[in-house]
Amino acid sequence: MSTQHQYEDVPLRERIAANPQPAALWAVGLVVLLLLQLGAIVSTLGTALELFASVIIGAFHGTPSGISPASNVAGAGVVAALNGLEQFGRSLPTLLSREFIPNQGHATTEGGWDGTFLGLPPAFAWAFRVFLIYAYMFFFLWWLWFGYRTFVSHYRQADWTPRDDVVRRLRTHRWGQFGLVIVVLFVGLGLFAPTVSPVTYDEDVINPLEYEVEYLDDSGEVQTILSADANLQSASRGNPSSNVGPLSYDDFGRFHPFGTMNNPGGDLFTFMAYGARVSLFIGLIAMGISGFIAAFFGLLTAYYKGLSDLAVVVVSDSIQAIPVFLLVILVSVVFQGHWLAEFYDGGLLFALVFGLLYWPGLWRAVRGPAFQVSEQEWVDAARSYGQGSITTMRKHMLPYILGYLLIYGSLMIGGIIISVSALSFLGIGISPPTPEWGRAVADGRGYVTTASWHIAFIPGILIVLVVTALNALGDGIRDGIDPQSESGESGASEAAAAGGGG
Amino acid sequence: MSRWSYFARRLVLAVPVLLFSMSIAFVILRMGPIDPVSAIVGTQNDPAYRQAVARSIGLIDAQGNPIPLWEQYFAFMRDLLTFDLGRSWVISRGTSVSELIASRAPRTIWLGFWSVLVALLVGIPLGFYAGLNPNTFSDYTASFGGIIWRAMPNFWLGIIISSLLVASAQLTGGAFNWADWIVETSGGGVTAPPLTDLTDPENLAIAIKQILPAALVLGSSSMGNEMRIGRTAVLETVNSNYVETARAKGLPERVIVWKHIFRNALIPLVPVITAEAFLLIGGSVVVEAIFAINGLGKLFFDAAIQGDLPLAGSLLYIFVLITLSINILQDFLYTIIDPRIGYD
Repeated sequence: MSTQHQYEDVPLRERIAANPQPAALWAVGLVVLLLLQLGAIVSTLGTALELFASVIIGAFHGTPSGISPASNVAGAGVVAALNGLEQFGRSLPTLLSREFIPNQGHATTEGGWDGTFLGLPPAFAWAFRVFLIYAYMFFFLWWLWFGYRTFVSHYRQADWTPRDDVVRRLRTHRWGQFGLVIVVLFVGLGLFAPTVSPVTYDEDVINPLEYEVEYLDDSGEVQTILSADANLQSASRGNPSSNVGPLSYDDFGRFHPFGTMNNPGGDLFTFMAYGARVSLFIGLIAMGISGFIAAFFGLLTAYYKGLSDLAVVVVSDSIQAIPVFLLVILVSVVFQGHWLAEFYDGGLLFALVFGLLYWPGLWRAVRGPAFQVSEQEWVDAARSYGQGSITTMRKHMLPYILGYLLIYGSLMIGGIIISVSALSFLGIGISPPTPEWGRAVADGRGYVTTASWHIAFIPGILIVLVVTALNALGDGIRDGIDPQSESGESGASEAAAAGGGG
Repeated sequence: MSRWSYFARRLVLAVPVLLFSMSIAFVILRMGPIDPVSAIVGTQNDPAYRQAVARSIGLIDAQGNPIPLWEQYFAFMRDLLTFDLGRSWVISRGTSVSELIASRAPRTIWLGFWSVLVALLVGIPLGFYAGLNPNTFSDYTASFGGIIWRAMPNFWLGIIISSLLVASAQLTGGAFNWADWIVETSGGGVTAPPLTDLTDPENLAIAIKQILPAALVLGSSSMGNEMRIGRTAVLETVNSNYVETARAKGLPERVIVWKHIFRNALIPLVPVITAEAFLLIGGSVVVEAIFAINGLGKLFFDAAIQGDLPLAGSLLYIFVLITLSINILQDFLYTIIDPRIGYD
């Protein structure tokens, strides 16, 4: 490697061409991993693009859902094509899928199970599928990490970069790693919701009248029943005789890891998995928007200082002076029936609103570090060297503040998750049929001290777990990039980030 | 910049902040996709009523001609700044907003007062205790508890606590009944506190007892924050040079802890305590809804979902005023207690 002589700037492509073997090995592994889940990836991509296209079309035409054919033929065509892509993705083979490892079946009179994976009881078939999904996910992440190690040991020109220190500190940061693991579990729950849930959301809630369940009745005959009726009869309604608790089977041979819901029944785990998807969607989009605004203003105010800083201070103080929670309530009322509120039953609207309301906190968090870096000699050098202001900000200042954005970003996603579920709890957040954790808490409110305690209890515990994990991850990143930082300094912004009023 | 001119600068900055944040509210209320008159009128389709509403909130003039938006904006801002808060249309038709606020505010203030107090009295001692005994079992228990406690959503904690208290007699087999614990209370003891004649000790006891569960929930995240920050602050102060000096010159441990550690460790807690007020305003909506407390948060929520937008706007103005005054109070406290602040 090029440690003895001065680095000449060889592009990464040429460095790989000079020693292709490790890179090729890694790429082959990546392709194999992706091929295993090809169908799921293509269909998820199709869904995401479809949503995106509908939003763009809606923004131009202001029509509900953007796919009304009368108003816009071309737009409808695009959306239909993307829908086709999604369907095509569903038809592609996917190794870790519900079809390959089914958990739905009926008991046989001999005591075995018919229709489930290898004749296992549904609980084990389901657990096996979930285990494989998470094993896949963690292996995939490890493979990415392995790719980074390969890059460092074979292709990076510098012997040491500051990032190595960050990585070294993170490797012994158990609290941050705990957070990371839980966050990965949460992301997996949302990302692979159709696969990890015991039953699809379509069958469980959207169209339960179009699906049938086979089960073994008391006289030893195999009967069929509509999913809707089975859900109703296995709902948890407080008294022990009509209750299906966590980790138990209902009368129709279906396994419910978190028990069932109250009315009109249905599997709580499925609800939680698809609800995680919505929370993740809102949290990530909101973070993306506010992170972008915060980074933009952070660089701008640190580079130009003076009046630009004062202007952003006034604007961000004004937004922060209004309690976020109240403003979101107001916005959700004002936008009732607006086309933006139809995507994801309000999910997109909330993502945008939180994105536009949370940047002041993030900007406050990066303002100090951005000022510090703008005082460094290398920024001054770049400026006197004649480098453009935008290039200076992007190349010499942005990398330094990205870490700080990550710290407060992870705290804020926690705050957003709590706020959205609090709004849904109050009945003005995400409306049915799209699931949201807060709504499960509201549904189970009357059953807390009864046999059906799980309906309200489990969603709350999961929120606590995910928010704690996001805080832990934020702590980990902070200790990683800035071990001297005093957490006392950031107390106020942390308080504002974590609570938000939910 | 001296610290007092820093403080003066913050004070002056509050004016454009107030104006700008109310402009945001104006944009949402008047320029948003919803027509404010339709929101109030709802399904009632009487043209005369519509006209009356539109005239009252300043959308049309006396002759029925529409008022241009910029004039509406100036009228809106002028009314707020002169505390002419208008009337409620849906929640309590014809009542002036100031009257509504005056009748609802005491419960919210009572709730806020106790939640700040509970959080302070539990969070800070626990945090300081953990900081003075770092890396012991009790430190880990307290720290971990604080982290979990902080992450609990208010709405969830609220329903769990209220359900447990209501059913306390059945759950403990009659050994503990929250409803008649210490003083007898109606409604299972988790309803709104009666705030009549607090000079009578029994009424006072009832009012305090009934507010405690709600205050505990509302103060939960602040309690966790105060604990965490308090612990870090104590740890930092304990290792500082002046504490070492104090120890070297032979001061008794009690004096060191109370005079040198405790007082200095309170400084980083100031923004946490003032930030609490901010959480309280947002959180009061949820907590008042769960514990059926008819306060300002519930009033705002009802006004918003029932389309009483003028009332919601006026309430928002009051909340912004409270937030800004607390921010100024925080700067003032900082200016007094920490001479290092202000060279920003």
